[in-house]
Amino acid sequence: MSGPQFREPIIEVKDLYVYFYTYAGVVKAIEDMSFTIYKGEKFCMVGETGCGKSVTSRALANIVPSPGRIVKGKVIYYRDGKPVNMVELSEDQLREIRGKEIAYIVQDPSSALDPLYTIGYQIVETMIDHNTVKDWKEGYKRAVELLREVLMPDPEKRIKNYPHELSGGQRQRAVISIGLSNMPRLLIADEPTSSLDVTVQAQLLELLRKLVKEHGLTLFLITHDMGVVAEMCDRVAVLYAGNIVELAPVDEIFKNPKHPYTMGLLRAVPNPQADIEKLEPIPGTIPNLIYPPPGCRFHPRCPFARDVCKREKPPLIEISPGHYVRCWLHAQ
Amino acid sequence: MNLMADIKRFLARRALTFIPTLIGVTFLAYIIAFAIPANPAQAWAGGIKANPQVVHEIIKEYHLNDPWYVQYYYFMKGILTNSIIDPRWGYPVMTYMLSRFPITFQLTLFALFFLIVLGIPLGIISALKKDSWIDALVRTWALVGVSVPIFWLGYIFIYIFFYQLGWINIAGIPYPKVHITGVPIIDALLSGEWNIVWENIQRFILPGFTLGFAGIGVIARLVRNSFLEAINSDFIYFARMRGLKHRRIMTHALRNALVPVVTVLGLQFGGLLGGAPITETVFSIPGMGRAMVDAIFYMDFPLLIAGTFLVAIIYVITNLIVDILYAIIDPRVRF
Repeated sequence: MSGPQFREPIIEVKDLYVYFYTYAGVVKAIEDMSFTIYKGEKFCMVGETGCGKSVTSRALANIVPSPGRIVKGKVIYYRDGKPVNMVELSEDQLREIRGKEIAYIVQDPSSALDPLYTIGYQIVETMIDHNTVKDWKEGYKRAVELLREVLMPDPEKRIKNYPHELSGGQRQRAVISIGLSNMPRLLIADEPTSSLDVTVQAQLLELLRKLVKEHGLTLFLITHDMGVVAEMCDRVAVLYAGNIVELAPVDEIFKNPKHPYTMGLLRAVPNPQADIEKLEPIPGTIPNLIYPPPGCRFHPRCPFARDVCKREKPPLIEISPGHYVRCWLHAQ
Repeated sequence: MNLMADIKRFLARRALTFIPTLIGVTFLAYIIAFAIPANPAQAWAGGIKANPQVVHEIIKEYHLNDPWYVQYYYFMKGILTNSIIDPRWGYPVMTYMLSRFPITFQLTLFALFFLIVLGIPLGIISALKKDSWIDALVRTWALVGVSVPIFWLGYIFIYIFFYQLGWINIAGIPYPKVHITGVPIIDALLSGEWNIVWENIQRFILPGFTLGFAGIGVIARLVRNSFLEAINSDFIYFARMRGLKHRRIMTHALRNALVPVVTVLGLQFGGLLGGAPITETVFSIPGMGRAMVDAIFYMDFPLLIAGTFLVAIIYVITNLIVDILYAIIDPRVRF
């Protein structure tokens, strides 16, 4: 299950830069980001809080929250094989794609649902606005089916419930059924389980995997949990301070990590694929992205840092088929 | 859903809480009146030259020589059974006050109308066009509105619109021929006497605007802030991610923004009633507020307490309506 099998791309990010214009200064959240997601694969992005995972996922449908802006680069979406650049589309064209072809599942289901409307209403309106059902009546029927599919207990009753009447897990199931309602081509799940307790997390991940398989969806999953990565993904991109530092098939990352940050990350969390005696934290803290370190952004925390790392930014190079690393150690 | 049963239970429970509120309000009003070192009986009987026999009769009739709690008891009993007679006019005080009430109600309706049709749209526009000239206008309006006294504003408006431009009328109340609710403009609307409707509008538009002036700025500011909060919330962002249409997103934002506004509109209604005496005096409108101001001048305590009682009842009922509306708008609120 690695790169070459998935030849047909669904989305291609090319040389993307996203900056946030804040009062404190310009936060260079994403720089020099390029990657491709292929049709039918499960693509994962891991990294610490604040490394730009969520921003990247929002950039795919060109919906970066204010004061952020895509300042440079392309997001090519292959719409029925025809490439369109999401960065250049009008707001109306983007609206038609969002929620229908590229759908999101967000991290915090409690604040993502409007408290004044029933979850049934919110599922149906998502379909009505994209003309995927003919009227509200059909929409509600479909909503019950969707809730049943995400294993919501008593779906006929639940569609009449308001968000505050549901548990956290049930709310996330509602958000997942909103994401699935228009059978999107690309489903973007941004830490879909991190606000839930562990048993519910496991159930929902299992459910997500099943749904993706049954409907042949492409999944872009964001997480900070290496265990989730190992269980869910085909390919992984490791993000550090707004840069992809390593991108490889999931087995490669766990067995043969090349970037010092990836290696550090694997030693810092329980590794599902190798026995490690003691967990070691990565020394130092994540850099301030208003004034990012020159050269390689990881060099202040890197045990292998050399002179060149402080001066020049390493390129992302392919060291073996489908395995990319951004590090001077592997650049020669 | 058993919403109606919930509402009934809620109403019954709330009706019980009315009693202590109303007792408290009238008691305070009574104590304040009682504390004034004056001899009302003398005043009611005609002043310094009053006939001692009449003064004695009045003291007996209104229990003025009894302890305060006995006096209060007879006052309240008189108000509730409508048997206490106004010492100046000779009518039962409640009958008199209730006959004045529709006019005050009409004035408050005009003010509330301005609050809603000006305050809410101005708030939304200034939220959508943040930091524009209209936003600055609303901010200034709110500040000026709460700083400027009603009587000053009222006289300025009279000077401009009556004295200089002659656009409005400031005398008399145009009554329609039929009497259904007692509120002139509503009766005129119901019976289709359009010229009377128009005359009422001419008569009340300026006092209504004056009374509502401060509230318009306050409501606009509140709507602005709560609309901004709603539009920047996670669920609106998620609504955009879901690709909902712009109109629908705005509906979501607006409904959420209006939840706090309903509460404040209810409180404002009470504030408007409180401002009515001054507005009615400035524009010489023969309403309840005007009657209460007169009652103060003539030490007519029975009338004053009856008025306070009536205003308290209206205020409590308004709050009840607000609570019901609140629960209809926001499903998180329980009866």
